[in-house]
Amino acid sequence: MSVSDWIVGAQWFFILYFIGVNMGYLMLNLLSLGGLKRYVEAHSLDDMPRGISGFELPVSVLVPAYNEEATIASSVRSMLQLDYPEYEVIVINDGSKDGTMDALRREFSLELFPEAYWQRLAVKPVRGIYRSKTYPSLRVIDKDNGGKADALNAGINAARYPLFCGVDADSVLERVSLRRVVEPFLEDPRTIASGGTVRIANGCTVDSGFLTRVGLPRNPLALLQIVEYLRAFLFGRLGWTPLNAVLIISGAFGVFRKDVVVEAGGYRTDTMGEDMELIVRLHRLHRTRNIPYRIVFVPDPVCWTEAPETLRVLKNQRVRWQRGLSESLTMNISLLFHRRGGAVGWLAFPFMAVFEWLGPLIEVAGYVFMIMAFASGLMALDAFLTFMLVVFSFGLVLSVSSLLLEELSFHIYPKPHQIAVLVLVVVLENIGYRQLNSAWRLWGLLLWMFRSKARWGEMTRSASWQSGPGGLGKGVER
Amino acid sequence: MLEIWLPQDPLLNAVFLIGIAAITCALLMLVAVFMLRIRMLIRRRRERIHEAQWQPLLAECVFGVPVTLPKVPENLRYHFLKIWNFHHESLVGNTRANLEALAGAMHLEDVAREMMKTGDLRERLIAVMTLGHLGDRTQWHELRALVADPSPMLSMVAARALLDIDASSTLPWLVTVMAAREDWPLSRVASMLKDAGPDRVTLLLISAAEAAVRAEGGERQVARLLRMMEVAHTERVAAVAGRIAREVQDPELIASALRLVQDPRDLDIVRARTGHEAWFVRANAIRVLGRTGDATDRPLLLDKLSDGHWWVRYRAARALLALPGTRIEDLEKIRGTLDDPYAADILTQAIAEARAT
Repeated sequence: MSVSDWIVGAQWFFILYFIGVNMGYLMLNLLSLGGLKRYVEAHSLDDMPRGISGFELPVSVLVPAYNEEATIASSVRSMLQLDYPEYEVIVINDGSKDGTMDALRREFSLELFPEAYWQRLAVKPVRGIYRSKTYPSLRVIDKDNGGKADALNAGINAARYPLFCGVDADSVLERVSLRRVVEPFLEDPRTIASGGTVRIANGCTVDSGFLTRVGLPRNPLALLQIVEYLRAFLFGRLGWTPLNAVLIISGAFGVFRKDVVVEAGGYRTDTMGEDMELIVRLHRLHRTRNIPYRIVFVPDPVCWTEAPETLRVLKNQRVRWQRGLSESLTMNISLLFHRRGGAVGWLAFPFMAVFEWLGPLIEVAGYVFMIMAFASGLMALDAFLTFMLVVFSFGLVLSVSSLLLEELSFHIYPKPHQIAVLVLVVVLENIGYRQLNSAWRLWGLLLWMFRSKARWGEMTRSASWQSGPGGLGKGVER
Repeated sequence: MLEIWLPQDPLLNAVFLIGIAAITCALLMLVAVFMLRIRMLIRRRRERIHEAQWQPLLAECVFGVPVTLPKVPENLRYHFLKIWNFHHESLVGNTRANLEALAGAMHLEDVAREMMKTGDLRERLIAVMTLGHLGDRTQWHELRALVADPSPMLSMVAARALLDIDASSTLPWLVTVMAAREDWPLSRVASMLKDAGPDRVTLLLISAAEAAVRAEGGERQVARLLRMMEVAHTERVAAVAGRIAREVQDPELIASALRLVQDPRDLDIVRARTGHEAWFVRANAIRVLGRTGDATDRPLLLDKLSDGHWWVRYRAARALLALPGTRIEDLEKIRGTLDDPYAADILTQAIAEARAT
């Protein structure tokens, strides 16, 4: 084969890969469309007054906190006001170096309690367990630093109820969030995990830990992530639900059956993607042991989180996510094409491996190859332009379709000019932002491959959208 | 102009055209986004005006039926039914009767009957709910057929409507359906049973449970029925629960039955079940001992403080505190004598909890 044959072959490989990846996502989009329509219709009576039957499953809300002094009090206060009949809140202070523990003691009148701590999952030493004198449903575990997974495991050990909900300390919830995410457990006893849509809180107004007004951020990076989250959650996850093949439930807000997670060994502390790893492991264990189960994604927006607003922080986040993804897949590689793997082992896992895990490698290689081949005169202009057109046009279709799904369902951004801004962002994110993301993810993949030491990033959060202590309440509506 | 950019290679040309088609598709979707948004804004504005017009009239139903009633436009019928049903669910007594009279004057039952036949699930749900609130018997057979619908939401709303129309005729067969349909969340089923009232449901639940115990492979139904019995007259279901706790072997069933036991005559089986191999059976039996046991159970409960499972130890500690005649000071003394640190720890926790409450 001559060099030009190789060039042509590579050119077609990359073009077909980009078409394939986007067609795959479009298929998911179609699946999501049907699922979303059915979901919205079936829940059309949810706003009717509803009493408490006493049969709702009680939930332990676990809030791991590390250096969250500024926001922990308002976060916990909001979690104590959820619209749910029976739940407890367990804050796990994971060896914070700041005044997180003092803030909790002060705000909630904590007292040391002689609790017979049941260590079902191995965790770093627990220094003490506190109870609130003012809020009987609040407990605080003070423990040595061991990372988020270790903190969650400590919370699971102390949890009293059959379901637990892991919530990031900086997550902004809605009062009905817990009720919505627990619903799948009531509808089907086989449900072992459920999660909902996470949205971007930047630009929104938050009061006492609850979202009071939805707005768009001024920061362009945060704006770009809004469309990205729409895509990732609406069809990246909803599309897999009918096949019972959801591979990610966000660590920011997810509900699990406690006994199942304990049986599986809890969260792994040696991965950066403990939330995804747990889900993939649960799939693997249930599939390979032939145990009926369901992992469900609820499309309702239930949790709002602060998106990074600087390139450095965003890059760190994406690198971390990619490493987490790599670890989650490789730790459970036996699920891939397992004879009992079902839709997860034969569809979702390979899809994730080819398009999300190894995708950045192929994508970045494609960009670099095409640009270099064209610049060095080895590739014709028409081939180069065709490649760029495919990349842009299919990316655009995906971004616009996520916006369309949003418009068909929840209308989170109510003002017409907000939609106009989002349309602009949908177009712009395909020129530069997605490519930059691919490069960061490739970096994450390389770091994972060369086993560079993993650190849980101490993400810089401004919490500028949050009113009260720790926030300036300057949510901007655009 | 376009011609100069079309690739020469036929395959590349085809891919290029696919790219152009994708952009066209994206543009069309963008237009759809804007159109949907415009349509939604118009619809919401219309609904706001409609709601502003109707809210005072529906609020007037607290005192009586308003004399003049504006006509509801065809495209706002769904919206009107939602507001009307929301009020019906929120209010009680005479106001409900006035709302129903208002609905009668507006021939809402005709609107609901027509809407029930559409293919739109949202419209069917609100129509079925309306027919239930209006007590419309003309659609009895249609509603009964809907109880068997595969959609859990539609079938449950139909069941609720039938209960609203005639609970006495519906409950005898609906209880069996409730036990069999595992896709109906227990919380919703319990709400329906609570609304029907314990007088109506107790005997039906008992006979359904007894039949299910006798039936082969009816364990799952028995388990559901035992949970449902928690809304019935507890003293009447306690006897059957005690019987089930004696007769069945399935640990889940025993545990469910034990939750309902409260008759001291069943204490022998309760005590026996504290030694069951399944921890949740032991925990439930110990819980019952705390509720119905006496001072003679103290040695047994003290022994269970050293059980291998945390929840059994915890329930034993709580049960010790709940036994008649127990004083915290006595338990503190006992704690000092315990050799097992797990037993001492759990008793310390239970004592601290008791002091805190």
